[in-house]
Order: sequence, then structure tokens, then C-alpha cells
Amino acid sequence: MSEEKVIAAVKFGILSPDEIRKMSVVQVTSPETYYEDGTPKAFSVMDPRLGAIEPGQVCPVCGNTMKACPGHFGHIELALPVINVLFVKHIYDLLKATCPRCGRLKIPPEVFEKYRRYLLKLRERHPYLAKLFAENIKRQAMKASVCPYCGAKQPKIRLEKPITFYEEDPETRDKIRLNPREIRRRLEMIPNEDLELLGYDPKDARPEWMVLTVLPVPPTSIRPSILIETGIRSEDDLTHKLVDIVRTNERLREHLASGAPEIIIDDLWELLQYHVTTYLDNEVPGLPPAKHRSGRPLKTLAQRLRGKEGRFRGNLSGKRVDFSARTVISPDPYLSINEVGVPVEIAKVLTVPEKVTEWNIEELRKYVLNGPYKWPGANYIVTPDGRRIDLRYVRDRKSIAESLAPGYIVERHIKDGDIVLFNRQPSLHRMSMMGHVVKVLPGRTFRLHLAVCPPYNADFDGDEMNLHVPQTEDARAEARILLKVQNHILTPRYGGVIIGAIQDYVSGAYILTIKSTLLEKEEVVELLAAAGIVKELPEPAILSPKKYWTGKQVVSLFLPENFNYHGKSNISSGNLRCDDINCFWDSYIVVKQGKLLMGVLDKKPIGAEQQDSLLYWLCKEYGVETCATFMDRVFRLFIRTLEIKGFTLRLDDVEVDEETRKQIIDILNKAFEKVKDLVDRYVRRELEVVPGRSLEESLEIKILEVLAEARDRAGELVVSKLSPINFAFAMARTGARGNVLNLTQMMATLGQMTVRGERIWRGYMGRYLPHFKRNDLGAIARGFVVNSFCSGLSVTEMFMHAAGGREGLVDTAVRTSQSGYMQRRLINALLDLYVEYDYTVRDSTGSIIQFAYGEDKADPSKAPHGKLLNVERVIERVLGGAM
Amino acid sequence: MPSRKKITGDLSQKILEHELVPKHEVLSIEEGMRILKEYGVKPEQLPWLRASDPVAKAIGAKPGDIVRIIRKSPTGGEIVVYRYVVPG
Amino acid sequence: MSSGNGSLNPSTIDRIVEERLSDRLPKNIVEEIKQALKRFQLTEESLEKIINEVEREAQANMVEPGEPVGVVAAQSIGEPSTQMTLRTFHYAGVRELNVTLGLPRLIELVDAKKVPSTPLTYVYLKPEYSKDREMAVKIAQRIELTKVVNVTLRIDIDFLSNAMVLTLDADMLKDKGVDVDDVIKALQKSIKKAKITQSSENPYQIVIEFEEAIDPTQVEKIREKILQTRIKGVKGINKVIIQRRGDEYVLVCEGSNLVELLQFEEIDHRRIRTNNIKEIEAVLGIEAARAALIEEILNVLEEQGLDVDIRHVMLVADMMTRTGTVKAIGRHGVVGMKSSPLARAAFEVTVKNLVDAAVRGEVDELLGVAENVIVGSYIPVGTAKTRVVYNPYMKE
Repeated sequence: MSEEKVIAAVKFGILSPDEIRKMSVVQVTSPETYYEDGTPKAFSVMDPRLGAIEPGQVCPVCGNTMKACPGHFGHIELALPVINVLFVKHIYDLLKATCPRCGRLKIPPEVFEKYRRYLLKLRERHPYLAKLFAENIKRQAMKASVCPYCGAKQPKIRLEKPITFYEEDPETRDKIRLNPREIRRRLEMIPNEDLELLGYDPKDARPEWMVLTVLPVPPTSIRPSILIETGIRSEDDLTHKLVDIVRTNERLREHLASGAPEIIIDDLWELLQYHVTTYLDNEVPGLPPAKHRSGRPLKTLAQRLRGKEGRFRGNLSGKRVDFSARTVISPDPYLSINEVGVPVEIAKVLTVPEKVTEWNIEELRKYVLNGPYKWPGANYIVTPDGRRIDLRYVRDRKSIAESLAPGYIVERHIKDGDIVLFNRQPSLHRMSMMGHVVKVLPGRTFRLHLAVCPPYNADFDGDEMNLHVPQTEDARAEARILLKVQNHILTPRYGGVIIGAIQDYVSGAYILTIKSTLLEKEEVVELLAAAGIVKELPEPAILSPKKYWTGKQVVSLFLPENFNYHGKSNISSGNLRCDDINCFWDSYIVVKQGKLLMGVLDKKPIGAEQQDSLLYWLCKEYGVETCATFMDRVFRLFIRTLEIKGFTLRLDDVEVDEETRKQIIDILNKAFEKVKDLVDRYVRRELEVVPGRSLEESLEIKILEVLAEARDRAGELVVSKLSPINFAFAMARTGARGNVLNLTQMMATLGQMTVRGERIWRGYMGRYLPHFKRNDLGAIARGFVVNSFCSGLSVTEMFMHAAGGREGLVDTAVRTSQSGYMQRRLINALLDLYVEYDYTVRDSTGSIIQFAYGEDKADPSKAPHGKLLNVERVIERVLGGAM
Repeated sequence: MPSRKKITGDLSQKILEHELVPKHEVLSIEEGMRILKEYGVKPEQLPWLRASDPVAKAIGAKPGDIVRIIRKSPTGGEIVVYRYVVPG
Repeated sequence: MSSGNGSLNPSTIDRIVEERLSDRLPKNIVEEIKQALKRFQLTEESLEKIINEVEREAQANMVEPGEPVGVVAAQSIGEPSTQMTLRTFHYAGVRELNVTLGLPRLIELVDAKKVPSTPLTYVYLKPEYSKDREMAVKIAQRIELTKVVNVTLRIDIDFLSNAMVLTLDADMLKDKGVDVDDVIKALQKSIKKAKITQSSENPYQIVIEFEEAIDPTQVEKIREKILQTRIKGVKGINKVIIQRRGDEYVLVCEGSNLVELLQFEEIDHRRIRTNNIKEIEAVLGIEAARAALIEEILNVLEEQGLDVDIRHVMLVADMMTRTGTVKAIGRHGVVGMKSSPLARAAFEVTVKNLVDAAVRGEVDELLGVAENVIVGSYIPVGTAKTRVVYNPYMKE
């Protein structure tokens, strides 16, 4: 291995012709690339000196084979100079800012020195302001109409896009074309001091180098040719372009030598300019892009760098990696939240390099014996002298296993207990990539615990996720200490738990902890077995006639002994509302000394994405380790509860009886009457106007209000008639899934459909659908859906509903692209910021952004409820029992 | 576009009283040096205040000055920050 | 030392808390502790315990040095923005006005747009006027921009008598609080070379007799000039709505013009607000712009029901206002100001940035995150920020 070098800095500049010649290994002159037998021709753009590209070929320049030869540059001596399109803007500015006769910058000599000194001072202290100042000087120079040095009258210079320069004579007003040779001559005249004043670097970027006289030919390794099955060679776009350039260049040289007429020379010169231009950038505005024979525009140098898939964003800012896997995900509630289930087939491909020591040699021998096709095995062995042995091609694994000795490295399959990174795109926040502990399982999907769905924003309708195996000891250590799921239970976004109970977990918790749940000994034992703990049962809550335990007692077995908490639960609203400990409805939670004394558990205390919850304080005060185990165990408990008790949503949960149906219709009819009345008043122009709105707008606003109110009333009505053991209602109330609006839409009425916040009206002239009369402003004709999902929609209603639904889909599609771009900009703007040891926030240059992070130095993921600390709880903790 | 009228004496007084405008004060050179030393920065590494800023004009801050700003903070109660006055 | 069982008296507690904690904790926390401790009878020992626990807890809750707070802030604002609505709603309470909300407004804010798409000003009145609806209406009428077009029913051209006749809308005149004389005065100021009088037949008619013959090709122009003549009000304040908030009346204005509005004596100059950040910057300075920016971003997020810690928003606002002017988050603002050409090239307009860097002979020192990702070394934040200095030759 060669010595490790660190890049200290990157300097930018323009290659001078001399430099290009110096680094060149061959001058390219031949437009033909291959001999008839298919070998590359010398002095062509495929010259073997440009680098070894065939396997086994030895590079004539550096003596390396394909693997190690970096490739070498060649060059083309251009018969006549051509402009480098990329610098056109700068050439234009320089031509305008300097005198064509004497080449001086048109800044009066008396201020020159003053500007220079000021610029130097600025550059040292405010590089950004220096840039602006230089820009200003340039503008001032461009304005001068007479050269302050030689007194020459200044011609007007024009740039005809993309690359043609014209000069307008100040007296005769004749347009004269400036050829690249003339431009280069002028640029050569500009003195170095003057360039410095414009912010140019004359040492590494002399302006005449912006006009090419020598063109570097990049090594073949960056423009490899592809061999199609038929044996036909297909060259890279760059090679095609280079051939064009060489061909034109040689023709031009011949014509020049033979003294051809000027017209022919000019034409060829123009063609050469075109080829060089498109070689550098094939998307210059105003120039037809060079095309492949098939009509596809060529991808030339600038295109390789630009854009999302370009070199910068596609290969430098984001790189492809080995040791990664991707497959569909599916749930497994019996895993820990810290675990991920990995299919055996994937485990056999992903490896971890493990150094052989005295202590693991026997184990590693076993893996080597198992080989690459049997899990847990190994795929490669690296000997101390750096040789890699591929176990796939080893006949006698036994002897190689015997030969293992400390100092060898075995690339063994991943096995249970290894740490990996798990990720789901879009990676919008840091919880989109977390460390998981491997659990190798049969099957072909990644398995994950359901509670980690919210941070990944994952579901199981076909989502796929990626898995990465860290390869160094440092990376694994960091992953274990910082990246494990348990370290991300608290989100930095608002300092609440992002990992917690969802859906069935919430339902289960509720069912388990309601007062009416009494469990016999067998049931308690079954639950505890599911949770995987062995513990002495507490005194049963009911002793006679039979011993019964409450769900709260079971949950209490998992809480730390000195844990205290009180707060509302999710069902505490409406008539079940409780604000303090005197609670009849069991909707206020009290935990004292690790015992759940009252209150049901539902979304508020243990759910995901909640603040200040029971789970939050558990994690905060007892550490994430405790919290993770608590979740692992208790969540299994909840699921088992549902399995015992049964929990489903059936059709009769959302059916309404005849009487209620009538009442709903009544409510709606009354609303329709009101709408009709409003319309009548509108037609008579008697409707009072909402200030600042037109009559039509006022009508729409009022109708929407009336109808929204009607739907809400209908909803309240059906909800008030629901039995508390109705499963749909239980889910909505506990926050497991759904809300009152969903219930309303299932049971009572869908209500008003809207597009862009208006009632649906666009479609036919004066009506949305041909089923209605023209200019019918009534509720039904403008998208009020009377039916519920349960009763089923009529045809017209279905169309209205679809119109509203479509808008939602379009909205989401537009929104993701917009917010994605905004986030990219935010991240690019802020990514250098970090907290210094004095708690100031600095950027990469050490400038201060904030004097104290967040003005109180608090970490939002650790600070409870946005405050540095919760004074009450701290005091309570200290005084404890004394209170 | 808002009219960019000259902000006159009376108005500049009103500006300083506005609830969004925290208290600004120009530091003496010694104090400024102390601050720079405390944070170990060059003056231009502090956040900037343009000399053309209405508040800078109202309190008469000149380029090169360091201004102390006492903000009311929703998280920290009260916090002191500094800005370096730059031309422009 | 009052009560017998050795408990401390409140002022001693305050003093001790102040001494021990004031230079380490933010002011408001210290105050809160003092308040909370008033409820207890504390001994010296238990106070000591509490203070120690507070110190420990505060230390535990502080950011760790090296934490990449910028990325965390960007993610914390960017991630919930995927859940925002795209539409503009009419604001609860002020259904007369459209207010841009949700994602478009957030983007507008981080773009540091010169003028927001729906500029609004909240004008509070001085306490002596704010309770009086009459007064509020009067002030509203004074600041609301009223042009001739707002009160004109029709305009006729009489080529025979070389005059234009304006017929005014009596209702609108009353609504806007102007009379015919005001209109005539305003017209006299703006229209030269014409005699402007109230018509003798109809009190709501104004006759404009021109001295020179009306050029038919110029009619449209003259008409437009007449209609656009300002009668009264503040330029830029297009609509004023009076709203009751608590026990006072607030004027909600469409449009903004801080400089002009600040001149009014009746207006509480301490509390006047606008959602035009650039204008705040120009009139009230950069610090006010920072505060307003934080407030506006938080409002947008809160209105959408999204919970984001204020610290993230503050960091964004501080970054945007660091250079003394409000800079956009993007290639023309904060990112464009970066000194590293590689970081700029990796963001947007790759080729131009590289070419400009070449011309200027720039040197990339590889100090930032993006640059180090590009060259493939450790990024200078978090765990890679720290270095271990170990001298194997150093003796004990």
C-alpha cells in the first residue's frame, strides 16, 4: 500500500498551452482511430500511450496494467486558435474593460493605486466584498469611452451569442468581426497588475489562455469504448467529438499550408470552433447541439459535470457504495426495536472483515470451513501480506482454514448481533438512517419492528429499504453508540418521542388498561410470557370469588420502581374530559412509584410523535436502554391482549339505525333549505355582502359554512349514538387510527367536496355534470355528497368525490418536489454549522453565527418541551417522598 | 415597493422604541477587544451590521465599531450578542 | 433562618440560587427556579441537593460541542414541510383578506422575497385611541389609499364643451369618508391646465374643463390619470379592515408602508407589524428583521399544526441575517456567499462556478462539509471534529 496522503487544498486555474504540452504524452494528429485489424492507431485519440484500457495490456508510458494505470493526457495543436466557450463571458468583459490599442484597464491612473490598495485590504478581511468591489471596478472600466492611458477612442464591443465577437468602429460605425487570433492578441496585452484589480489571477489564469491554441486530449480511461456482443465497437461521445476536432484540425492545417482561399479557411475555422465548443459544452444556447447518428445529443464535458446525475451531485456529493442491500420490508413484532431481520440470502453476501486473533480463531475457522454458500460462512480471506483469497474458488477449504493465523482477516458473513445501518428514502431527517442489530431470519424480506415505522415513514404496502454494513471498527463503534434506534427515540425536531405505540399497539394498550379488563392468572401468565419476563405476580386486585388481576397491574410490572407521572390520556375530551386526579372516566393517568394507579394508556401517554408523555419521561429519566426494553416488552403485551380479546372493524360498527338515518336526513334537508334560501336571496341580490368580497364570493362562503356545519352536526349525532365498545369508535377515541371526521364520513355523510377550496363547478357550461340543470347553485349539484361510505355513493356523487380526491393527489405530487428543493437549499446553506466548545455556533471558516446555540445552549432533542430543563420535575425528583 | 424615504430624527427615535428592535449600543475599543479575545475571532467573523442599517444610523455606529445587542429571547430570557459594523 | 427546623427564608434561597446558577443558566430558568422554590420549606441541605440536580440536569440537556446543528435545523424544518398544504387560505377571523400560508409562504420567507405575495400590516393604535371604534374607523379612512377610481361611478367625455364629467358614487364617498370637495382638491393638484368645478345640476358631478382642446388620441391617458389620482391615504395601503382583538381595535391593512405609517401620531409605533421582511429590514434594521423572520416562520409552521423547535428557526434566521442584510437561502444568498468553489459547484450552476473559480485562481481550503465529502475525507463536524493529541514521548 502506498503512503496515505491528505488533500490540503484544491487550487483552480486555467491550463496554459505550455502546461498542456508538458503533461501530454502524444500529439494527436490522426483522425482514424483503429487499424483494420482493430488495434488502436498511434497518434490517434485512441493511442495506446493515453493509458492501458484492455485487461492485460501494459501501459507504454507508466508500465502499469489497466488496474493501476491512471491514464495520460495527449494534446492537439490547433491550426488556428479557437475560443473556449466556457470563458466567453469573461473574454467579453475583459475586451470591454481594456483598451484594444494599449491593453490597459480603463481605470484612470490616479485612482488605480488607491483601488489596488483597498482591494488588497478587502481581500484579506472580506473576500466576499472584495469580489463585489472588483465587479464594480470592472463595470467602471467598461464605461470609459476613451482610454485614460493612450487616449484611443474606444470601439463598442458586441458579443453575438454564443461565440462571435464584433467591434463597432467609433467613427465609421462599421461592424468588424474579431477573430479568435485577434482576441487572443488583445488579451495577451493586458498587464498582470490590471488583471489583479479585476479579481483575476494572472499567475494561474492568464486571459489569453481562455483562447485555445492547444487542446488537451483526455486519457482513454475516462471515455471507454463499449464492445457490443456483435463485436462492434461503440465509442464514447467524447471520443466522437475528439475525432471530429482532429479531422477538422488536420484539414484546416492542410489548407493553410497549401494557401487555400480565405473563404475556405474561414469556413473550416468556424467548423473547428463549433466542434471545440460542443466538445466543451453541448448545451450552449444559440448553437445547435452536436448529435449522435441516432439523433441523440452528445453528452460532452460540461454535461458530465452538470445536474443531478452529473459528476458533482451524482458522483462526488453522493457516492455509490459496496456492502449494501435492498429489499422489500415487512413487519415483525417479535423483534426488538433495535433489530432488523435480514434474509439469509442477503446475510450470505454482506460481509464484515474480522481480524483473526487467538480468541476468535476457532470460530473464524468454522466460518471459513462453511465457505461462501453456507451461512454463517465467509467469502474472502485476506492474508497479512495483502493477498485476497476468494473462497468461492478454493477447493480445499479445510487446509485453508487450518492455515489461518492471527493477523489474517476473514471477511465473514454478517450474523446476529452485528450492527448495520438501515435506511428508507426519502431521507428527510437523521432518523431516516439508523443503526440496527442484525437478526438473520428465513424469508426474503427485511423485517422491522412496527414502532420504527414513524421515523422512517415506512409502511408495508411494498416499501423497500436499504441496508449498509459498516466496514471499519470506528464506523461500527459510532453506529453502536450514536446511531442505534434507541438513541433516536427522541426527535430533535420538537423534543418528543418519535418512536412509540402506533395503531394496534394503542388499541391494545387501551383494551388492556380499561377498568373492565380483569385477567385470570392464566391470562396474566400468558401475557407475561409474551412479553418475555419472569416476575413474581403482585397481589391480585380481586381476591374473591376468583383471583383477578387488572391490566394496569400487569403494565405496572414493567415500569421502573420509582417512576412518577401524571397527565391526560387521549380519550380525555368531550364528556370524558378530566383535568386532574379527580377523574371518574379513567382518562387521567397517574403513575406513582412505578404503579399505574389510574387512567387508561392510549396515544397521549405512550403513542409515537407525542410530547411530554409517559414514554417521554421514561426515556428521559431512565435512559434509552430502559425505554427500548420497555417498548419491546410492553408492546408485545398489547398485541397479545388483542389476540386474546379480539379486535376488528366490522361493517355493523359503521352502520346506523333507521331512526338516526332519518335524523341525519333531517339535518341535511334543513341545511339544503338554508342553502336554497341563500341562493334565492342571492338571485334577488338581497344577500348581505361579506366586507371586501363580491356577492358571488359571499354566497359561496356562506353556503360552505352552512354545509360544513350540517356535516359536523350529522357527525356529532352519529358519534353520540356510538356504543363505547364500538371498535371503530374505540380506535378514533384512543388515537389508534382515524378520527371523528372519518367516522362521520363512514356513517353519516361525506359532506362537501371541494376543489381549490371552492365547491365543484368547473366542467360543462354552468354545471359540473350533465345530470344537473344549468346554473343550479344548490348543494347537490355543486358537490355535496349526501351518502356515507357505508350507504354507498350515487353516480354523480362518485364523480364529485373523485374530483376532490384527484386534487389531493396532484397537490401531494407538486408539494414533494417543492419542499424537496427547499430542503436541499436549506441543508446546503446550513450544513457547515456546528457547535464550538464555547457553545457558539460557527461555520466552517470560524465565523460566529450564534453566540449561544438557541440562545440557551439547550439541545432540542434533550430539552423537555422546548425549555432547558423542567424545573418542577427536577425539584420533585429531589424532594421525592417529602412531597 | 416601500418608499425609501430618508429616515429622519423623529422617526429614528420611533424606530428604536419599536418592540422588534432590541437595545443596541456601541462598544468602546477596549470592550470590543475584550469581546474579540473572549471568542477568539477576528472582527469580521462576528455577525455584521451594515453602517446603512437604520438602527446603526440612529445610534451613530460607524464602520469598524462593534455593537452590543441585548435581545429578549423566548428561550434564554435575555441574551447579549454582538455585531461588527461594516461599510455598506 | 426563621423557622426552627432549620429551613431557609425565601430571600436567602433567592440569593443562593442567584449566586450559584445565574452565570451558568439562562435568566428565565433561574427566575423560574426561584419562583418554584418559594412553595417549599427548604433546608440548606435540600437546597444544595436541588441546585446540584439542576446543574446536572442542565448540563445533560445542553448541546454537545461538534453537533451539526445546521443540518439538524434544516432537516427539522424541511421534513415537516412535506406535510404542508399548497393552497392559500383565507385566514380565520379575517376572511376578507387572502393570506399566503403553508409551503408557498415558507418558501417565500427563505427566499427573502422583496415583497410578499400578500403583504399585510397590522396597525395598533395608541392606548388612548384603541378602545374607540369611531376613532379606529377615522384612522382607517385616513390611511386607506383612496383614488378617484374608487369613488367614481362613471366618467363621460364631452368633446363639445371640451370637458370631462365625473359622476361620483355617494355610497362609496361615505364609506371612504371623503366628500366632493376633497376629490376636487385632489384633482386640482394633479390635473394642470384645466378648470375643475362641481356641477350645478348634480352635486355628485365634477366637471373638468380643459383649456386646450382634448386630443382624442390622448383621452385614454388623461382618463387614466384622473382615475388614478390619489385623494387621500397612504401609498401601498390598499384595503383596511378593522378588527377587534381583546379590548382594542386593530387595523389590518392589505399592503405595507412602514415609513409613512410611522408618521401618524395616533398609531402605536412600538407595535406596528408587517409581514414584509425586507421592508422591516429597511426601516427597522436587521435585528428587527431577524425577529420578524423567526416570528413569521413559526407562524406558518404553527398554523399548519406542525411542531418545530424555535431553536431551529432561530438558526435559519441568524444565518440569513449574518451579513447585516437579509440573504436568501439559495445560490443568490447564503450558499452563493460561501468561499468554497467546490461547495458552490456541488449545489447549483456547477460549470459556471468552476469557470469563475478558475479565472480568479481561487483556492478551496476544504474547510466545509460539502468539500470534504467531495474529496472523500472526514467531514469537519460531530465525531470527526475532535482530534486526539497524544505525545508518546511525553513523560508522566
